[in-house]
Amino acid sequence: RKIKRLRPVIPSRQTPCSVSENPLELARVKLHVSAVPEYLPCREYEYSDIYSFIEGKLFDESGGCMYISGVPGTGKTATVREVMRCLTQARDSGEVPLFQFIEINGLRLTDPHHFYSQLLQELTHEKATTSHAAELLEQRFTKPGLKRDHVVLLVDELDLLWTRKQDVMYHIFDWPTYPHSKFIVIAIANTMDLPEKIMLNRISSRLGLTRISFQPYTHKQLQEIVMSRVQGLNAFDPDAVQLVARKVAAISGDARRALDICRRATEITKLESKHKASPEKGSRHLVGMGQIEQALQEMFTSPKIAAMRSSSLQEKLFLKAVVAEYQRSGLEEATFSQIFKQHVAICRLEGIQPPTPSECAAICSYLGSCRLLLVEDGQKDILQCVRLNMSVDDVNYALQN
Amino acid sequence: MDHIEVGNQCCSPRIEGIQKIQQSVRARKKQMEVLLGLLGEEDEVPCDCIFVYGHEATGKSYLLSKILEEFEVPYAWINCVEIYSQRLLYEGILSQLFSSTYTVTTLRCDNMCDFIRMFKQEAQAMNLKKMYIILDNAEKLRNFEPTLLAALMRLQELTRLDLSVILISEIIWEKFRCGIGLCEPLQLHFPQYNREEVLEILSLDCPPGYSEEFYTAYLRVVLSVFYLVTRNLRELRYLALLNFPKYCEPIKCGTVSESDQHKLWKNIEPHLKEALNTVYLREVSSFQWENYHTKDAVGPAKKVGDLTQSFNRAAVELPFYSKFLLIASYLASYNPARTDKKFFVKNQGKVKKKKINLRKDQPKRHILGPKPFPLDRMMAIFYSIVEEQVPPTSMIFSQITTLVTLRLLATTSNEEELGTPKYKCLVGLEFIRNVSQTVKFDILSYLNDFI
Repeated sequence: RKIKRLRPVIPSRQTPCSVSENPLELARVKLHVSAVPEYLPCREYEYSDIYSFIEGKLFDESGGCMYISGVPGTGKTATVREVMRCLTQARDSGEVPLFQFIEINGLRLTDPHHFYSQLLQELTHEKATTSHAAELLEQRFTKPGLKRDHVVLLVDELDLLWTRKQDVMYHIFDWPTYPHSKFIVIAIANTMDLPEKIMLNRISSRLGLTRISFQPYTHKQLQEIVMSRVQGLNAFDPDAVQLVARKVAAISGDARRALDICRRATEITKLESKHKASPEKGSRHLVGMGQIEQALQEMFTSPKIAAMRSSSLQEKLFLKAVVAEYQRSGLEEATFSQIFKQHVAICRLEGIQPPTPSECAAICSYLGSCRLLLVEDGQKDILQCVRLNMSVDDVNYALQN
Repeated sequence: MDHIEVGNQCCSPRIEGIQKIQQSVRARKKQMEVLLGLLGEEDEVPCDCIFVYGHEATGKSYLLSKILEEFEVPYAWINCVEIYSQRLLYEGILSQLFSSTYTVTTLRCDNMCDFIRMFKQEAQAMNLKKMYIILDNAEKLRNFEPTLLAALMRLQELTRLDLSVILISEIIWEKFRCGIGLCEPLQLHFPQYNREEVLEILSLDCPPGYSEEFYTAYLRVVLSVFYLVTRNLRELRYLALLNFPKYCEPIKCGTVSESDQHKLWKNIEPHLKEALNTVYLREVSSFQWENYHTKDAVGPAKKVGDLTQSFNRAAVELPFYSKFLLIASYLASYNPARTDKKFFVKNQGKVKKKKINLRKDQPKRHILGPKPFPLDRMMAIFYSIVEEQVPPTSMIFSQITTLVTLRLLATTSNEEELGTPKYKCLVGLEFIRNVSQTVKFDILSYLNDFI
């Protein structure tokens, strides 16, 4: 009981979440990243690939591995979950053999070896230490015994299960190779060459060549994803969606990013409609180019330039002094005493009272704690090395006029 | 820092307390007023973090402890030198503030999270309103991870209690900053005492039986000699008390009256000049010093000089070959390698003498300090300066390692490099001259710096 209390739990909601009829509100709810739609647009090919792989293994009564890679936000986990949802439905209606679906995320494990106890608990609801769990699982998968159901395991964030001896990874991909194991592993990670890069040869050979790479979404696909979510709501200007899709596809092709920008744009539109006294009641507000532009600005502009622009006069002068010292010495690093000399010179030039070294050290450490500069400990006093944490052009751009 | 007025309207026990502190703490009026203002009156919230800094013996801890004792507020006083793990800090604070609930044996608290939780719980249970945490020698806190200092500076915010953290240190605040942003404290500087203030404070411990004027006159004499060398109150006080019996000697004998200051000054001055050499050095213990001055009728100056010299004299008895090894290492450390041929090659007759032109402007090696040398070079010099045939037995090499453990030599290479060990000689010129005298070896004629 005590252990149960120690776990942090989100308190259960007392009253249901209010859903407004306003199209903007509805769009905001539907655009949330957690609101995964019924079917995933633009991933039909990958979906059928994974589906047929698992289905084939289930009918063959054999085990196997599949490796899925792709940059974040390309729908890897969502697609596999979608496949498993459909297969569960088929299992319940008796179309495919019985199986058990288990999902383990590498990020949720405090230690890679906890994988064993986690898997055992999901399989049999038994609790065991990691080494004991490893033994039990070894017996279960390698010894021919009772007729068992299939086990489909989804391992998310595979790269976090890396250990020095790579025993966890080895077991994950070794167990499916036993004849009676009926163990199907779907492993997900971000990099395509992960098996070649970090795995031992005997592990990557066991992993096999059944691999699917999720390409980043193109702007058309992103547009389709967003439009499928806000279908029939009349909240978005299609051109605005296209702008989001093109901007995001140019940088990362991350669907989550596109959805977040659209959500932010709906919020901005809502705020604007509140401020503007609407001439006629019940007028519709569309998310237009302007709002999208603003949301994109908020998401993509560098906070460093904003921080530099809003910093105090002496801080700006200090940054200028760093740049001046760079130019004087031609090196991308300077000691505090050199910069202080430049700072005093600049102050004299501008007709400002120059600060004392103590004040200047305070400025330096403040800029360092904002990560505008990279500084060493204050213990080194005037010999501490100071470097800019951005390019000189950024500083010049931010501090001009 | 601005002068903060201590409220005139406050209740009388407070004024009485302030007067009491002023009587016992001299020359710190302004600092006291600032501190009282920052620490707050009974119903005020104290300043969350105060950084008190100043030189050694400027009354930082003394003034703070006087204030805290006078107003009887709950406080925890931690000397950070004693804290080698964070646990000691947390448990020390908790056991000092809540001594009724926590004893050292039952308490267990080893992280900041637990500390804050227990602190809040206990403060609520005991209904404590205002507390002070004083961290003396706060510079030691930098040895822990920087988050510890950052959390301590925000303790008022984290516990939501009216508490104040006071850091006492001898170094300036700039040296406390680390990569993460720290909450800036209010800084209070304790300047050094000037001559009048030192005089005022020292005259407080006037020995019984003498008038204060007489003692002050003595102190003026003492300060005229020592004030140039040190302003450390603790050291001055020690020296003043130590030399006072000598000053009074002529009066006791009845040769000089108390008022004849010139004669007294003539009498004490040479002794004070002598004592000048022993400032901060406890080479002669105060007991010995007193013995020389009071009981012995013989001239003390000579004896004291003897005493300190005997302390300084390098009196290390070494085996015969060890002495030569040490001399060889000294020569290898302070002579450049290219002059070795000039000094140590015996049979130079037929070989064409190549003139070694030494640059005159080169700085002397004795100023730059010892240079490292390889073992082979040292052994070559050793065989050259020892007159007889010495077999390279294990005894010779074990003597080298013994010299290293005696800190007469130092290894400068890694321990893994057994093949090419490098050494440095750590002894001074005076020491090596003594050693070479015992084996009748004229070291000065072999040193490049002295030719």
